[in-house]
Amino acid sequence: MSGALLEGILEHMAIVSIAVLISSVLGIIMGIIAYWVRFLDSVILWVSEVLQTIPSLALLALLMIIFGLGDITMIVGLVLYALLPIVRNTYTGLKNVSPHLKDAARGMGMSKMQRLFKVEIPLSFPLIFSGIKIALVNSLSVAVMGVLIGANGLGTIIYRGIQSRNMMNILMGAIPVVIMALVFDFGMSKIEKKLIKRTK
Amino acid sequence: MKLKNFMGLAIALVFLLSIALTGCSGGDKIVIGSKDFSENILLGEIFSQLIEAKTDIKVERKLNLGGTFVCFEAIKNGQIDIYPEYTGTGLTAQLKMDVIGEPDEAYRVVAEEFNKQFDIKWLSPLGFNNTYTLAVNDKVYQQYGVETFSDLAKISENLVFGAEHEFFDRQDGYEGLVEKYSLKFKGEPKKMNVSLKYQAIGNGDMDVTDAFATDGAIKQYNLKVLTDDLGFFPPYYAAPIIRNATLERYPELEDILNALANVIDDAAMTDLNYKVDVEGKDVAKVAKEFLNEKVLLD
Amino acid sequence: MSFIEFVSKNYNEILKSLVRHIELVGISILIGILISIPLGIFLTRHKRVAGPVLALAGTIQTIPGLVMLGFALVLIGIGMLPAIIVLTLYAILPILRNTYTGITEVDKSYTEASRGIGMTNMQTLFKVEIPIALPTIITGIRLSTVYIVSWATLAGLIGAGGLGDLIWTGLSTYNTKYILAGAVPSAILAFILNGLIGLLERILTPRGLRRSRI
Repeated sequence: MSGALLEGILEHMAIVSIAVLISSVLGIIMGIIAYWVRFLDSVILWVSEVLQTIPSLALLALLMIIFGLGDITMIVGLVLYALLPIVRNTYTGLKNVSPHLKDAARGMGMSKMQRLFKVEIPLSFPLIFSGIKIALVNSLSVAVMGVLIGANGLGTIIYRGIQSRNMMNILMGAIPVVIMALVFDFGMSKIEKKLIKRTK
Repeated sequence: MKLKNFMGLAIALVFLLSIALTGCSGGDKIVIGSKDFSENILLGEIFSQLIEAKTDIKVERKLNLGGTFVCFEAIKNGQIDIYPEYTGTGLTAQLKMDVIGEPDEAYRVVAEEFNKQFDIKWLSPLGFNNTYTLAVNDKVYQQYGVETFSDLAKISENLVFGAEHEFFDRQDGYEGLVEKYSLKFKGEPKKMNVSLKYQAIGNGDMDVTDAFATDGAIKQYNLKVLTDDLGFFPPYYAAPIIRNATLERYPELEDILNALANVIDDAAMTDLNYKVDVEGKDVAKVAKEFLNEKVLLD
Repeated sequence: MSFIEFVSKNYNEILKSLVRHIELVGISILIGILISIPLGIFLTRHKRVAGPVLALAGTIQTIPGLVMLGFALVLIGIGMLPAIIVLTLYAILPILRNTYTGITEVDKSYTEASRGIGMTNMQTLFKVEIPIALPTIITGIRLSTVYIVSWATLAGLIGAGGLGDLIWTGLSTYNTKYILAGAVPSAILAFILNGLIGLLERILTPRGLRRSRI
């Protein structure tokens, strides 16, 4: 039985990792675009918020119809769900960089790109990192629903536990999820604090 | 600074490791699926263990995949190769044809159509008929003395009906049943996960349900199974169904799975279900015991 | 048949599910508010306990919906009751945390001024702190509401009813129309509630403190 548990944990982590990775890249890019292209900012933020407002079961069910069963569908769902915290934090972080520093960078002859990578992103990094943290912790929880659309993960053990009214199975699947969520939340918050200190 | 780098590296490593370890599948294998109730899961496990015992083929299990249609979609697009299906379900729910009452004819038609339309082959029936029935709790039976569905129709307005979500969207399901027998249950029908029906009846949260004939819980909750006097439900003989493509790759699977032909009758299946659902035994163990006793006599 | 035909044929079922969904959400939010706001106020007066209590509520938030439903199922049974209990537990954290931070972040100068003119603790609370913290508290209620409109869709699994029933039916029969019949109203419900409560937030922000909210 513990073989199945270990497999479930690894599958769960794999799906969540891939999704958060993709979501971070996409989310940061979208945040940057929202920051650069003024008239797009409300659109991009609105789309991200809309995606998170859609009930997760509904979103997953719709994605299942489009993409079929399996891990890929779950990953797509998690990516869409994780966008809001990352996009919003990237945008807010970039916007909140002190105007003085932006002027200074301009004054030094930096191009927009250079300013972005050398000044704005490094300074917003704590906030961006926080967004990724939120996305990761949420995804660990949402990924449990993967079992309903034929994806792997800890949801399999939990669902089987629900169906056989077996508390043990439910706990066996749930406890790793909660522990992972708490550990990552705690660990990444610590890193976040260090990042904030560094940028001061 | 150093701590942050180290932790970042550690986290990244864990992620990559998990991706790598789970990505390393593929290759020579077949995938066996099942629906999300104990009997089907048991059958899927029995198929898996049998194939593992008799061949070197690697078997991946995707049991408890979902309802009938989820499994059907999965086998159509190759995500699973085999799963246990029932003739009546294939006929009415998937082929959307009219009920055929005669079991052999039903099997013949369903096997022919599945082969023609979906390139899926029906192997030999396992020997039991897990038909949809209506079951009432003991209190109702004592009070009204109902024996058939028609009897039930006369007093249905006093009773609350409940079933799994799938039952409400099938040709051989709620709508057709209600129409044929002029049933009019009290209030809205209750919908819930298939595994919770019996608990609901046991609690008195509902009075009637669409019991599966071989469910172990029928005995446990002392339910009265009624007779389908107008013959609404088709026969539901269980058999493994397999993609023709898979059979071409591994032709030996046909004989191996056909070794299960007529090995399990109604009573035997109910007994196996009882072990899992009521006695709480582990599916894999029950499957293994069954195979050792009945099939792998060598 | 097309989706439109499907909806008109099953109009009754969809409407009943919608009503049940609103009932589940409404009752849970109400109870959640009744628990969280007093508790949050209590925590602002007993700050040492605040940390652990908020951490506990936060941990409940990390428990996946299916798991909580599973617990409720095994411990209580099926139907509306276990579903409402789970949803209420989920509703607590956002409201609790926002009540707490909303009140503790009220500018000290206001509370000092009110003490200075002779207000008691209670008066300060009700006349100064809560009005100023109100927008933040409402934000918490908004977040909770959207959150549990989403989780209430799972409740169909344990026989509680709601729009989830339509989605579950669609999931088990791979039927897009059923899924849409459940998904679209639940998404719209979430948007509408999000918008309405957001409007309430803006109306209730004291004019002097209006600032842009994302």
